[in-house]
Amino acid sequence: MKYIVIVGCGKSGRELAFELSKTDNVVVVDRSLKALESLGDDFNGKKLWGDALDINTLESAGIKEADAVFLLTGNDNINLVVGKVVKRKYETKGVILQVNDITKKRIFKEEGLTIVNRTYLIVEVLRKCLA
Amino acid sequence: MYIVIAGAGRLGLVLAKKLKEDNHQVCLIDKNESLCHRLAGELEGVLTIAGDATYPEILKEAKIEKAVVCVSATSRDEDNIIICNLAKELFNVRRTVSRVNDPKHLPLYQYMKVDNPVDSISIVARIVEEEASFTDVVRLLSIKRGRLSIVRVNIPETAPVANKSVKDIKLPPNSVLVSILRGTEIVIPSGNTKIFSGDEIIAATLIDTEKEVIKALVGKI
Repeated sequence: MKYIVIVGCGKSGRELAFELSKTDNVVVVDRSLKALESLGDDFNGKKLWGDALDINTLESAGIKEADAVFLLTGNDNINLVVGKVVKRKYETKGVILQVNDITKKRIFKEEGLTIVNRTYLIVEVLRKCLA
Repeated sequence: MYIVIAGAGRLGLVLAKKLKEDNHQVCLIDKNESLCHRLAGELEGVLTIAGDATYPEILKEAKIEKAVVCVSATSRDEDNIIICNLAKELFNVRRTVSRVNDPKHLPLYQYMKVDNPVDSISIVARIVEEEASFTDVVRLLSIKRGRLSIVRVNIPETAPVANKSVKDIKLPPNSVLVSILRGTEIVIPSGNTKIFSGDEIIAATLIDTEKEVIKALVGKI
């Protein structure tokens, strides 16, 4: 069983949290209480209301023990800053972040960070449809 | 000196005007297009660029590679950090200075190696606290990342230095009396200058000896 922290409870964060919570230990962090509530009562994980740019929030989410951290807020800059800090300070094994702008994905790539870009993914899938 | 400022809020604006007065070349970047348009008319000699400074092409448009300093003064800490990182890593800007909006975010600025994060809230809070608590001692400034401190001390009648000459005052090493404020007058102290109660003394000291200096001047902390 893995310990997983998900920052950002938007569409992808919520779906991922739901899926992973079936098999793993999941904590979801968001600064909107409403977004966290949208997980519903069936969600089998922890919800943490707080600001991910505050180290204390990350630590109460158990970042030190996490096997993987997903940064899925809708804000590229928050995902990048928190992702880099988590990698540098806590040496978390898996740091996966969503970055929607392609130029930023290119500039900020760093060893140990997995950067996922939506446009790039869709293009890949569409290309495979052709094959 | 060429300086690029990202964020034309109250801080960015005041700073741009001030730097311009000091004959620096200034470029101001802000997301708000209509604001930039207005500022272009108001701020003579300041280059204004409408755009999101967290995108490299906007920084390029600002010719940030020619800048000696990049100041990020937006109201979002994540943007400020990204701007400073881009300036440094992509454009080799020597020095990055940033406004810190939320003191809780300060550690992030440090991990992300912003040269000078300025936590204005904490600075103002300290001044307000000191002003509100009626102390005889006010720390005016700390420089060199907090290693050097400049303090203002009110001299009460009971102070050990009252009615003494400067040369008879024993101060700890690494500290110096900078000036004496007496009414509206400013006295630069020499050995024979006498200190009276009611004077305000400005002293510079290393942070480690700050308490000793205060004790030597007012007798208590």
